[in-house]
Amino acid sequence: MIGLTTKTFNITRMKRNILLLLVAIAVGSLTLSAQGRRSLRINEVMVQNENDYVDDYGQRGAWIELFNSSFAPLQISSIFITDDPNEPTKYQVPLGDVRTKLHKRSHILFWADGYKTRGATHLNFKLVPGVDNWIGVYDADGITLIDSVTVPASLTADQSYARRFDGDSDGWEIRSSEEGFNPVTPAGFNHVKEGNSKAAMFAEQDEHGFGMAVIAMCVVFSALLLLSVCFYIISKIGERTASSNKAKAQAHTGEMVSTERPSHDSGEEIAAIVMALHDHLDAHDTESTILTINKVKRAYSPWSSKLYNMRQLPHK
Amino acid sequence: MSFSEFLLQNLQQFWELTGFYNATWQHFVMLGVGLFFIWLAIKKDFEPMLLVPIGFGMLIGNIPFNTEAGLEIGIYEEGSVLNILYNGVSAGWYPPLIFLGIGAMTDFSALIANPKLMLIGAAAQFGIFGAYMVALLLGFAPDQAGAIAIIGGADGPTAIFLSSKLAPNLMGAIAVSAYSYMALVPVIQPPIMRLLTTKHERVIKMKPARAVSQNEKIIFPIVGLLLTCFVVPSGIPLLGMLFFGNLLRECGVCTRLAKTASNAMTDMVTILLGMTVGASTQASEFLTAQTIGIFALGFMAFIIASTSGVLFVKLFNLFLPSSKKINPLIGNAGVSAVPMSARISNNLGLEYDPSNYLLMHAMGPNVAGVIGSAVAAGVLLGFLA
Repeated sequence: MIGLTTKTFNITRMKRNILLLLVAIAVGSLTLSAQGRRSLRINEVMVQNENDYVDDYGQRGAWIELFNSSFAPLQISSIFITDDPNEPTKYQVPLGDVRTKLHKRSHILFWADGYKTRGATHLNFKLVPGVDNWIGVYDADGITLIDSVTVPASLTADQSYARRFDGDSDGWEIRSSEEGFNPVTPAGFNHVKEGNSKAAMFAEQDEHGFGMAVIAMCVVFSALLLLSVCFYIISKIGERTASSNKAKAQAHTGEMVSTERPSHDSGEEIAAIVMALHDHLDAHDTESTILTINKVKRAYSPWSSKLYNMRQLPHK
Repeated sequence: MSFSEFLLQNLQQFWELTGFYNATWQHFVMLGVGLFFIWLAIKKDFEPMLLVPIGFGMLIGNIPFNTEAGLEIGIYEEGSVLNILYNGVSAGWYPPLIFLGIGAMTDFSALIANPKLMLIGAAAQFGIFGAYMVALLLGFAPDQAGAIAIIGGADGPTAIFLSSKLAPNLMGAIAVSAYSYMALVPVIQPPIMRLLTTKHERVIKMKPARAVSQNEKIIFPIVGLLLTCFVVPSGIPLLGMLFFGNLLRECGVCTRLAKTASNAMTDMVTILLGMTVGASTQASEFLTAQTIGIFALGFMAFIIASTSGVLFVKLFNLFLPSSKKINPLIGNAGVSAVPMSARISNNLGLEYDPSNYLLMHAMGPNVAGVIGSAVAAGVLLGFLA
């Protein structure tokens, strides 16, 4: 009966553990998904396209560029894109289109031309020139707003409203192919890095590397100093715990526990005492087996010889 | 076309595919270097586990062939077998696996028992940044200088990891240089140690390290990971795997995993890493004036690292009571060539006093050097990538 109860208890506990694990995995995956989707940004928008980028059908239309600002691939199927805050689920990006998987730091262009039958990247609404256009991107639940922007009414034909730096929340600007503006960059980077800017900056600011040497050595020293101090404290706590445990044990047994061996207890003396006891008590094990040496005949063949076997490894 | 002409034409085509036809003097130089590495490993016993795979890899990578024939056999040709194996180096995932093995093999007790020895490991990292400054003076760009300077950390996997991120074009030269100098630690370090220490200092006897409890050993990788990676998150791949391996070892409930990580897995990755690094030294890519500069800078970085480790101990001793002085011969062990440099401290200590065993004391800065070089790599990566 007791055995059965214990078994039932173990099974219940196992089930509970599995359930907890599943919940943890589910919560973890949700968090991961949410983290990934949060990295999606509206990056550039063109409302009135007269002489700019052409779609696969050879036509020009308003477009919205989204950007995966993370360094991990991102699946954007089932997110919602809308121009109406009161109707967040206006257009859902369909499942199963390969273009909806964005590589790290990559762009995708959606055409706001109202032709939703032309594929996953054609939205079922149009942007209106001359008025403020609000654009929002919602997560698959249709509630969580991932990103939004209001494109100003002042935007003229072939001008785009874009982030200065891709995915950066710092600032937006009007772009145009005309002189005095930064260029329009559909499905491309708004800011193109030329070479390794960090390294170039170091080359300019820290020509001899002295600054880098000082800062880096400080970081290395602080990291190891922190670790060192931390372990100094841990070892002190350990020592105190050990001594308090020892004191408790002594109080419990009422005996003095000596950790040091008396100086006269040498190894030789202990060995001599043990041998004397052995002789005196005539104590030894009884063996049930006999050790003999018999000649064993085996048919010899060089093919079975370990000496000539190729599996032998040479040793120096 | 007659049959004989047809045969002759095909033989001509075959001849043009052979190594003899495509060979240049650079190929023979590199083949010679590969043979020299194998000779060093087998005859001189210089780090055979590293030099045999690297040396043989050099032979594999420098067999001449027609690169325009599209045979997909070269290490830099996409889709070739060697290229697939080389991905672990170019994408930088072999080094963290090696670090997992190092963590599973290393006993951090010496470091935990005497935490102040960690600072020696930090001081020796000056080799990296000293070499960085000299590399800048020689005209290398900051990211290239950072990748070359990491050779001073005396840590092959870290050098490969960082160079794959900062200067992939220099990775072959940096990796071979780092591993070569690690193998040559017994030649490079002792003269520096003798030069910088007095006879009196060399015979300093250090107190035996206290016993470290199992709990402390378990806490170490957890706290170590959190503290170091919070300071330098870019060190996560290396430090994360190092401390994870160590936790597998010390927790006592994952013995099978720890054994696999420290034996079978490390051996496999070492074979692949060594062979592909060797093969990546294709003459056309490797034999340049820049490579010679990298080797010279690597050598200098090693000397600066060893020197700064020893000098730091001498400086540290000025503030320590006479009963707690540290033998400066363990200063060289701050470079993270584990356990070669610690063994050198021990051997040199025994040379001057046959009863003075420094191995366990030297292991402290030695493993701190591993952590320190990974942190230094993280700093360089954070600043320059």
